[in-house]
Amino acid sequence: MIVTVASGKGGAGKTSIAAALVAALAPRCVGADCDVDAANGAIALGARLVEGEASDYYAGPGFRIDQAVCMACAACVEACRFDAIEAEAGAFDPGPGAILGPRGYSIVVELCERCGACLDVCPNGAIYSYEKKAGELFVSSTRYGIPLVHAELFPGEDTSGKLVRAVRERAEALAQDGATLIVDAPPGIGCPVIASLSGSDLVVVVVEASLSGVRDAGRLLELIASMRRRSIGILNKTGLNADMDKAARACLAASGVAIGGEILFDPSLRSAEEGGKAWNEVEGEAGERVRAALASVLRSIEELTKPKSARDSGKELI
Amino acid sequence: MNALRPAVIAVASGKGGTGKTTMAVHLALASARTRATLLVDLDVEAPDVLGYFPMVEPLEAPSSVSVAVPRLVGAFCTGCGLCANSCRFGAIIAIGGVVTIDEKVCKGCGRCVAVCPAGALVEGRVEVGAMVESRVGALSLLEGRMAVGDIRSTAVIDAAKRRAAELGGAAHIRDCPPGISCPATHAMEGADFVILVAEPTRFSAHDLFGAMRYVRDRGLAAGILINKYGFGSVDIEELADREGLPVVGRVAFERDRAGAGAAGRLWESNGDFMRQMEDLVTTLIDMGNSSRGGFR
Repeated sequence: MIVTVASGKGGAGKTSIAAALVAALAPRCVGADCDVDAANGAIALGARLVEGEASDYYAGPGFRIDQAVCMACAACVEACRFDAIEAEAGAFDPGPGAILGPRGYSIVVELCERCGACLDVCPNGAIYSYEKKAGELFVSSTRYGIPLVHAELFPGEDTSGKLVRAVRERAEALAQDGATLIVDAPPGIGCPVIASLSGSDLVVVVVEASLSGVRDAGRLLELIASMRRRSIGILNKTGLNADMDKAARACLAASGVAIGGEILFDPSLRSAEEGGKAWNEVEGEAGERVRAALASVLRSIEELTKPKSARDSGKELI
Repeated sequence: MNALRPAVIAVASGKGGTGKTTMAVHLALASARTRATLLVDLDVEAPDVLGYFPMVEPLEAPSSVSVAVPRLVGAFCTGCGLCANSCRFGAIIAIGGVVTIDEKVCKGCGRCVAVCPAGALVEGRVEVGAMVESRVGALSLLEGRMAVGDIRSTAVIDAAKRRAAELGGAAHIRDCPPGISCPATHAMEGADFVILVAEPTRFSAHDLFGAMRYVRDRGLAAGILINKYGFGSVDIEELADREGLPVVGRVAFERDRAGAGAAGRLWESNGDFMRQMEDLVTTLIDMGNSSRGGFR
């Protein structure tokens, strides 16, 4: 059983809700923090690295230009569709009578898509590929006693979708014997989000009750529908603006997604989190709302884990 | 003096939801009071700038953003498989001499077309997103928007950056995507100054750390704008100081403001806040003018 928490908008409460789900399900779950750009699951779950459980991540080869060999012919500049090759300061002097051009060219790593088109066209063999460690993948133990698989993508590195798949694979291998895998998805609707959603049995759509939250959730819900994933909604930061609460409910209703609960905007949740507590461990109404929302999600999970015969009509969803 | 070109300020953060869009919108509104300003929404997976301007009509129909993808001319294909070998994105498979192209994962690099010895690949365009332009008073708006289900956010970001360069003006404010991987770095690339918006929470501090490392390694001029000041447990000032980045502003947490922000209501009537935004833009532009021979 794979449950993915996603929102479209950043800062909507994905990580906190995923952590609360882990707290509620432990010890029968495994966590996977797929927000590898901004991995906060380890902080939320009080995770400590398990001895020997870190591995290097390679994103695939990138390309460089050897300045000693480059003749500044600019064939690579012509071939690059991503404007990722820039002139090196200084002049290359090809001989008497020639027009002075740049000294050479180099690849802007931040813009390079690593397609290799430049490699094919360089007449001098000045372009070479290299492998570089792009991040690390960890398995940590959490304060709830369950493992969390998480990763750190090095700043500026490409292909985070590939790292997300690596996190997912490692976590799926750990989630044996009916344990539920809780996936914390990155914001947005792009490649790492698709990698986080794919194969999910249930998506918990966190809708921040704000204009941006509703707009971004709308795009996420469209993506989820196209991927034919089953989902349940949770409103977060409600009570700030009644119109936005209404809009958040309407956006889920428009996609035919049931509302599992509504979490209040309450600084006490933030304080608890800063103090190392999950949201469902908070006293009072704020915590009560969180527990009610989680209970709905747990009911959905239970429903989905019933033997196939008992829910055969539910297999092909939506 | 350099050729006329706008000062480009990128508003970014590691963590989402720290207030990038809110800050970018108000920086741009404040800047537009005294100079020709363009606000560019480069958070193309979740573009929300236009939500702050519900009454604004687009100047014209959205323009399509597309990439060139290969299409197979079956009659010419010899099934050699060189195209599949050249593709780094897994967009082409050649099994038993049969070539299949997956347009959805193609990045449009053109390498396969160049390597095909039989001329069996020709390029067609596939839409990956759109751009919308509009104007509010003296402020111009440009939004990049990736199509739902697509993965080529960087193609949309790059297209919006190119369009922004054509539009010119005195100042560009970019609203960047969260994170520190390719969409965020494409959005920050080429900026004269990066404002990293952070909040004083443990999550934000962790993500800010990655973003600070990025701007430092890339050699980008940057500073920290602390939003929701007083709303967490982390001393962001100390963190910024340790990494050698200046704190360029502080915006206090107020529940009323959180409510207004939720509804996408502007804080333009708050004179102190707007002056703070205007002063920040002016300071950054002046700093650029003195430190590197000018943006203009």
